Amino acid sequence: MQGDTNMGNKLEGKVACITGGTRSIGRAMADAFLAEGASVVVNGRDAAKGQQCLTEMNGGDRAAFFAGDASKQSTVEGLIDFTIEKYGKLDICCLNSGGVLNTAPVAAMTDEEWLLEIDWNLNHVFWGMRRALQHMIPREAGRIIVTSSVEGKLGKPGIPGYATTKHAVNGLVKAAAQEVGTLGITVNSILPGIIETDIVRETGPDSAIAMGVGTYDALIDMFCQESSIKRPNKVEEVAAVAVMLASDAARNITGCMFPVDGGTMPY
Amino acid sequence: MGALDGRVACVTGGTRGIGLAIAKAFLDEGAKVVINGRDPVKAAASIASLNAGDNVHFIAGDVKQREDCEAIVNGTVGHFGRIDILVANAGGGSNHAPVAQLTDESMQDALVWNFWHTFWTMRCALNHMIPQGWGRIMSVSSVEGKVGKPGIATYVASKHAINGLTKSAAREVGTLGITVNALCPGAIETDVMMAEGPGAAESMGLTYQGLLDMFAQESAIKRLNEAEDVAMVAVLLASDAGAGITGSMISIDGGTSPY
Repeated sequence: MQGDTNMGNKLEGKVACITGGTRSIGRAMADAFLAEGASVVVNGRDAAKGQQCLTEMNGGDRAAFFAGDASKQSTVEGLIDFTIEKYGKLDICCLNSGGVLNTAPVAAMTDEEWLLEIDWNLNHVFWGMRRALQHMIPREAGRIIVTSSVEGKLGKPGIPGYATTKHAVNGLVKAAAQEVGTLGITVNSILPGIIETDIVRETGPDSAIAMGVGTYDALIDMFCQESSIKRPNKVEEVAAVAVMLASDAARNITGCMFPVDGGTMPY
Repeated sequence: MGALDGRVACVTGGTRGIGLAIAKAFLDEGAKVVINGRDPVKAAASIASLNAGDNVHFIAGDVKQREDCEAIVNGTVGHFGRIDILVANAGGGSNHAPVAQLTDESMQDALVWNFWHTFWTMRCALNHMIPQGWGRIMSVSSVEGKVGKPGIATYVASKHAINGLTKSAAREVGTLGITVNALCPGAIETDVMMAEGPGAAESMGLTYQGLLDMFAQESAIKRLNEAEDVAMVAVLLASDAGAGITGSMISIDGGTSPY
């Protein structure tokens, strides 16, 4: 969205960090936050991709990159500390990274995959939220936005770790929202439907086999057919919600499971 | 440049409270807006407060009458040439009582005011939106569309019904460029709340202030919501960026509803 007519000032002077921010949903959030006047630190595993991302975002002094694997505690806490050190504060913490690697039905799930998904999708959110809240509570201001999933409310065969961890982060969001609700801090989940992100393209073919639908195209089609719009969602649709939740005007929305799923979830 | 440039919206119950805040937010984003209310005299002050010239138009009507609901929607098309966004916002309850003492008239009034008005305006609007292949329909439901409280069964039942209608309609028109969503605010001290709240509180065994405190205490923010909270979400859903959000029951309740 950078450079187009949607540039605004909803996040003027705000500082944000985004795990998994160099590509797809996280990147769309970063672009949208920059366009609304925020400074943004994006995180990703690959330093070269990070530099390319900074070049593409063209955010100048308002954009920075922090390298590291979001499934590691040191990365998540390091990102938050780095952001505060570089820009003097943290207003908006987007815990966005997540996915599966070699998913399988429960009966065939390996401990390694299970623990990876717990670290990547759940512990990463806990580590980041805890660190961010320790900074935000004394300041009595902040926005925590977790990229959850439609699978945070539903469950599909073959992706038990994903459904479990996304349900878990929703519980964490609800509890944290109640804890800090009077302190000017909101904690919300965004629940996207299927989006053809880089990570879905990379791991989708294996996931399709684990889910028993065979091919990547069949996996995408299954999610689309469950929706009302019969198409995947788009990263920009998630980013627009993130901008709104991050803005000062959203001070009274917290503990919310915000769906961006084209009419998939019944509740 | 606004997020709703060129769009035409219709807001029932748009002269006060949440509806007026939504109308103002839509106008600020470049839309043309029809607001509806029962009383043209009250409406005159509301329209003056919007300071939007020809971009706002008032249609008098009682949303408890089907003919009026259809006249409001069709009148929007008549005046501005189309309808892109419908906000079925009017609603409330009267003569609250626990179910064991509840009168038929009280239940009927809430169902007509909240549910039938939403159905009548939605049906009429869909018949304009389906041919044009673009539309945004929102109902102002409530946190009580998701959870229940003793003593206000008419309100709870009619708001739950709106949510069911929303889910079905969203499925029907999901591939036609039309979204249908329910906004679920927590308690807001609107004019209707001030008028009907004392009666509802009495049915719940509370004072009016006690009622407001109860809603605040159930939230995470420990205060009531504001009309502008709802208007902000309405703008997002009405915009092009809202195309991927449909059939959703969006909580705008300061962390009250658990789902």
